[in-house]
Amino acid sequence: MNYDEVEILLVEDSIDDATLTIRALTKSGFTNKLFHVKDGAEALDFIYCKGLYAVRKSKEYPKMILLDLKMPKVTGMEVLEKIKSDQHLKSIPVVILTSSKEDPDVKKCYALGANSYIVKPVDSDNFFSAIKEIGLYWMILSEPPH
Amino acid sequence: MEKKKLDELVITNKDLAFQKQEKKDRAAELAIANKKLLFQNEEKKKRVKENKELEAISNSVKQGSQYARSLIEASLDPLVTISPEGKITDVNEASVKVTGVPRLQLIGTDFSDYFTEPEKAREGYKQVFEKEFVSDYPLTIHHKNGKLTDVLYNASVYKDEKGNVLGVFAAARDVTTQKQVSQYARSLIEASLDPLVTISPEGKIMDVNEASVKVTGVPRLQLIGTDFSNYFTEPEKAREGYKQVFEKEFVSDYPLTIHHKNGTLTDVLYNASVYKDEKGNVLGVFAAARDVTAKKAEELSIANKELILQNKEKEKQAAVLEIANKELKFQNEEKEKRAAELIIANKELAFQNEEKENRAAELVIANKELLFQNEEKENRAAELIIANKELAFQNKEKEKRAEELVFANRELKQAEDDIRKLNDELEHKVIERTAQLESVNKELGSFSYSVSHDLRAPIRAINGYSKILVEDYGKKFDADGKKVLHSIMHNSKKMGDLIDDLLAFSKLGRKEVSVSDINMTNLVKLVREELIFDEGENLPVFTIKLLPAAKGDQSLIKQVWINLISNAIKYSKYKPITNIEIGAYEKANLVVYFVKDEGAGFDMQYYDKLFGVFQRLHSQEEFEGTGIGLAIVQKIVHRHGGTVWAESTLNEGTCFYFSLPALTN
Repeated sequence: MNYDEVEILLVEDSIDDATLTIRALTKSGFTNKLFHVKDGAEALDFIYCKGLYAVRKSKEYPKMILLDLKMPKVTGMEVLEKIKSDQHLKSIPVVILTSSKEDPDVKKCYALGANSYIVKPVDSDNFFSAIKEIGLYWMILSEPPH
Repeated sequence: MEKKKLDELVITNKDLAFQKQEKKDRAAELAIANKKLLFQNEEKKKRVKENKELEAISNSVKQGSQYARSLIEASLDPLVTISPEGKITDVNEASVKVTGVPRLQLIGTDFSDYFTEPEKAREGYKQVFEKEFVSDYPLTIHHKNGKLTDVLYNASVYKDEKGNVLGVFAAARDVTTQKQVSQYARSLIEASLDPLVTISPEGKIMDVNEASVKVTGVPRLQLIGTDFSNYFTEPEKAREGYKQVFEKEFVSDYPLTIHHKNGTLTDVLYNASVYKDEKGNVLGVFAAARDVTAKKAEELSIANKELILQNKEKEKQAAVLEIANKELKFQNEEKEKRAAELIIANKELAFQNEEKENRAAELVIANKELLFQNEEKENRAAELIIANKELAFQNKEKEKRAEELVFANRELKQAEDDIRKLNDELEHKVIERTAQLESVNKELGSFSYSVSHDLRAPIRAINGYSKILVEDYGKKFDADGKKVLHSIMHNSKKMGDLIDDLLAFSKLGRKEVSVSDINMTNLVKLVREELIFDEGENLPVFTIKLLPAAKGDQSLIKQVWINLISNAIKYSKYKPITNIEIGAYEKANLVVYFVKDEGAGFDMQYYDKLFGVFQRLHSQEEFEGTGIGLAIVQKIVHRHGGTVWAESTLNEGTCFYFSLPALTN
């Protein structure tokens, strides 16, 4: 995959959730240009073209980031904070994926500049429709500021 | 423990201050008491002086009374005073003489005891009490040596100043002399040779002389009391005769013939006249018969002369008697005057005696008071001694207490230090506990988060993969296999719902209730608009009545409406139409809201399970649910200080009620 063509960056430590998310997006028509990283550290490496992703051109950023919060090493919150405090990155829409609406970090995420959030529903139908809606909204309807 | 001792000491100090004040008060009281005593002593001296003066007055009163007494004693007539009970209250020397009984023995005995006719004596003084006065009441006094004295009593009641009858004053006049005069008259009558007779107004013979006995041949005592006319040959004429006497007061030479019991007849001429008492009442007829038998004519003329002489004599005697009567009348008048004087003197005496008694009573009271005051003085002195002793004792006690106080103060300081230490410890503990509590709360929060986050993930995976199986490999499963896959999906979804509801429920206990005024009509409208319906589901027909505003947490109350309205729709799903009525009423300071459906209803015997967590009254096949919706409703309503209840009839419908505080205007 050409890292520089990645349109959606999915940051998710759970393989199951990632599989289901990717499937939902695929089924909704977002068939390509999605890249999945396993945790926050990898996400930052990808964004800042470091480590495994040093080959990536630094100027090409994903159009949307789907960010899970609860992850090992570097949490979603830390990734969000980094992105939103970076002049070059902060305009990228970040959609928070959370397992529960009880997550105490949801409010914090908004304060940090998260653009939206999705509670990952147990029911796959709902999960799919939610992912589809969020994808459509941020990828098609809202033009990212350049 | 320390604190208690301190309190006791404080009280003791107060006691001491109070006792000191008491001591001062006592001293002031004693000073006043001493002044009073001084004054009372002077008063006492004055009283003694007054007493002497009083005694002098009393003596003069005594003298006055002695004078009255001497007047009484000077009287030769027996004088006596009698109480209303008939007891002798006083007598004079004359009374002693006439009865032969000493004065002191007479006083107090019954007045009637000293007369030959006690009954008559009693009758006498009864009359005095009735008429206030009796005169010339005849009685015979009985001397203890047997001597009898005929007397006439004049008596009158005497009274006190207020007019109360105190007794009777009786004066007796010795009439023995008068009786002797009458005996003399009798001998004159007896001396007459003519039959003389006295006749009562009824014509009965009252008395006769010896000549009458001779001429009738009937003894004197037999004659007395018989009819005068019985002794004449013409009784009718005889009756006519004395009738004339009563009419004319005098008849002379009335001819009648006396009938001797041996048959001898004696022709007589009667001269008769009425005789009267002092007051002029006719008492009877005095009749003298002159024998006019022819052979005795000469004797008769001599006898007539004699008779004339005798009449003259009689007239003389009558004159004497008249003089005697006048004398008697004068004496009676004198006696009455004396009695009146005596009554006045007695009244004066009684008044003076009363005065004397009053003064004496006053003196007795004054003396008693003086005695009481002296006693009081002594008592006060004794009390003072006791008070002084007590004071000395209290001073000692005070010193002791002061020592104790110093010691107690030291202890108190120690106690205060201890308390401060304890307080510090307590504060420290509170901080510690608060921190612990906070950490427990945090733990609980993070636990809830883990539950929602970590439990949901695997379930989500199960559900998601099952769907992938259905979608991608559905053709490879037969009907049973597909059914199993659907069951897996269904159950995992349910598990997710359970987790969500449980979390929501546990969150309620921790969530703060922020109360504001809720426009309930708008809120219910909002809930209605947000309702999502499944395909083929009956759209409910709402009847919404006026909903008053209430106080509460808008988001929580919204959840209540959501749960109740969702339930109403859910349990109506087997009915052809879903009718839901929403309304409210106000009661006291509460607003009661209700949601009424015409759904499946439930058996009221399971009512107590209705609001329990995970309690369900219907099977999952009939109506899906986690059994937590009503538990949430109850928790929210309770947190608002309201109540929730329901009424239901199986297969007919249910009505849920909940109350909230009304808006206070």
